[in-house]
Amino acid sequence: MSDLKNYRILFEKKQNMKYISHLDLNRCMTRCIRRSGLPAWYTEGFHPHLYLMFPLALSLGVESICEIMDFRLTEEIPASEILEKLNAVFPDGLLALWVGSPIHQAQEITHAEYLLYLTAPEIPDLFACWEAFLLQPEILIQKRTKKGFREMDLKPFLDVREAKISSDSQILSLAIRLPAGTEQNLNINLIPESFQNYAGKPIFTRYACRTKIFCENFQEFF
Amino acid sequence: MPGNQISKLEKFLLDVQKPSRYTGGEVGEIIKDKSRIDVRFAFCFPDIYDVGMSHLGMKILYALTNQRENYWCERVFAPWTDMEEIMRREHILLYALESGDPVKDFDFVGFTLQYEMSYTNILNMLDLADIPIRQKDRGEQLAPLVIAGGPCACNPEPLADFFDLFILGEGEEVNLELMDLYKTMKDAGATRSEFLRQASQIEGIYVPSLYEVSYHVDGTVKEIRVLGNAPATVQKRVIQDLDTCYYPDQIVIPFLEPIHDRISVEVLRGCIRGCRFCQAGFLYRPFREKSAETICQQGMALCENTGYDELSLSSLSTSDHSQIEQILDQLLNYTEESHVNLSLPSLRIDNFSESVLEKITRVRKSGLTFAPEAGTQRLRDVINKNVTEEEVLRTCQIAFNGGYTTVKLYFMMGLPTETDEDIIGIAELAQKIVNLFYDMPDRARGKLQVSISTATFVPKPFTPFEFEPQASKEEILRKQKILKKAIQSKKIKPSLHVSDVSQMEAVLARGDRRICNVLYDAWKSGCRMDSWEEFFNASRWYAAFEKNHLRPEFYANRTRNYDEVMPWSHLDYLISRKFLICENQKAHQGIATPPCREKCSGCGANSCLGRACF
Repeated sequence: MSDLKNYRILFEKKQNMKYISHLDLNRCMTRCIRRSGLPAWYTEGFHPHLYLMFPLALSLGVESICEIMDFRLTEEIPASEILEKLNAVFPDGLLALWVGSPIHQAQEITHAEYLLYLTAPEIPDLFACWEAFLLQPEILIQKRTKKGFREMDLKPFLDVREAKISSDSQILSLAIRLPAGTEQNLNINLIPESFQNYAGKPIFTRYACRTKIFCENFQEFF
Repeated sequence: MPGNQISKLEKFLLDVQKPSRYTGGEVGEIIKDKSRIDVRFAFCFPDIYDVGMSHLGMKILYALTNQRENYWCERVFAPWTDMEEIMRREHILLYALESGDPVKDFDFVGFTLQYEMSYTNILNMLDLADIPIRQKDRGEQLAPLVIAGGPCACNPEPLADFFDLFILGEGEEVNLELMDLYKTMKDAGATRSEFLRQASQIEGIYVPSLYEVSYHVDGTVKEIRVLGNAPATVQKRVIQDLDTCYYPDQIVIPFLEPIHDRISVEVLRGCIRGCRFCQAGFLYRPFREKSAETICQQGMALCENTGYDELSLSSLSTSDHSQIEQILDQLLNYTEESHVNLSLPSLRIDNFSESVLEKITRVRKSGLTFAPEAGTQRLRDVINKNVTEEEVLRTCQIAFNGGYTTVKLYFMMGLPTETDEDIIGIAELAQKIVNLFYDMPDRARGKLQVSISTATFVPKPFTPFEFEPQASKEEILRKQKILKKAIQSKKIKPSLHVSDVSQMEAVLARGDRRICNVLYDAWKSGCRMDSWEEFFNASRWYAAFEKNHLRPEFYANRTRNYDEVMPWSHLDYLISRKFLICENQKAHQGIATPPCREKCSGCGANSCLGRACF
């Protein structure tokens, strides 16, 4: 056990990989690590399996430039070699950006930031509509929980860092921070959903991407 | 020309279940520059991605075709109903996953015929591809040629109107021969019918439009007449040597979890057992083994290249490999070290030795599955399932000693000569297994469960039971009641269900060309995904029969005479009619036939090898 080395990778999940569910990503990564030839550590016990840990799941359809995965190797390997070996076996859409030792614990995650591009051909002034949406006294949403749906007010949790409209007024781009992690976790897809309910006209998500994961005091998770 | 269909689909992908069924881009997928390709082949599996991606034959032929630089084989699956709705609404054509190009732009559109209840999906896929469904409506333009192969091609008559040609037997050689001929004739500017006439000269290629079928007044086939110079009988293709035959060392690795999520090495083809109900056991003859060395080398290569952690040794009866212990020894050394689970899906009761069991349990402990198929020794002799009760019990004993506590037993109902006693015998056999467990002084902790699953027997072509009637649904229901009553222990869990699917399967398995219209009308009225319980709609099928003045009972529940011309009489699967009749007679006399290795029973399959099998 003493030789075990914990590693954390930061990776991108883009293009078609956004359609891969969390469970499928786990199986995909297991095979990638096996193909890479890295000396992976397997759990001991009745059904040994390759140890992988994803501190924060990503919703289907959302891309990311800041995904995190932890794994263990039975010996120390230089970070550059790990990066090279993983990227050589990753499918298109996955790209390892950084490898190192974990600094924070998964439980320390508090927030995540997303970039959203929304379009709504039937809404003449999308930006004004968005501002009016935000000005509501409360933004009620149906949050899916283990016991069905629960109504909650999104407003206190919604932290809009930036809102811009494209020069042709077609695309509303938003940078949004939402609670993430074990305590409170909000799905970014709730934003276009509740915005659409408010506007009463179809809103399309052209692009959704997680850009940052934070710990307490908005320190970046590493 | 319509462009990439996947990009048109993109904005709807989050509205469907499992979007990665439709995107391609998996590891192992083969992408080529289409400007440098001479022949494009769309390999179509007439069921959803999750099912098709589990299919070994497709993996072999996909990789084999793509070995050729100037040929490109791509994958096509049936969309699930949610996606079908979107494709129809948005006018998105059926496309191949690699390029996203419409299937109608391919040279070959090749379907694999794995089970009869996928036939309506074929028509549906042709429709989604915007390819004329009936062969006669495709005109003289050479492409696309709609072709099919696979086990159900042994009686392709219910599909004869829809296909340009069928490939009989094993595809590793003939597929490339066909594509080579196509390339030559395409360059020469040939028409569809010119190509088909030429293709019919290749051994193993059956062009249905070159044969004419006439019927007696009673509905049976009168004559199958050859048009032009097509061969009077078409013989299936057989690979001579599995060791030198191409086998992939890389496969497409799906992102989602398919039905069978593992890599497989085929260890042998054919079967020495001769169970009289089993079509595969006769279709895949003669018996040929891959050498232990090749199996291990192929298994290891696949593990290394794919990163899979489950390897399966597949065949009709893996434990019949003459070097099975050696294979297991060698492979287990590798798989244990590299954290791979080795699974052996087709083990037989009678040669399930202690040492083999010990080897398997070194890797993984899951449930045990046996298929005695019939409840009494008398009926097992009739169907030639050469398994005795002592062997079943002995194997269970070994298994219980090894810590197993769940046993699954598979049986068939409606077998020829079956009586109520045979049905009660199923319950009695299960009870003996329960008693055996509780009589063991040092039995494993844990709950014993013996589950019984019964399926309705479907008579199939090229088996000794091809002459037999299928039992009616009422008869099966009556027998299930008897079985339920006969089960005493709570440890025995029967899973009994009956549906009209088996009758339709029986019709399609032994149907003639008149079934083409029934199939067409059934599909037109909404039938598809018939192998999915929630979609099968018996009344639509019955209506299609009625519309065409045909009766399903004629095909499913009728006894055939030994001298009747079968709809597939012009197709030669190397199993002689004389042998099938002899086996049928022995069945009715309750006489078993020994496995091929003990004594050759003269089925005729070895004629293609030019030697005895053993």
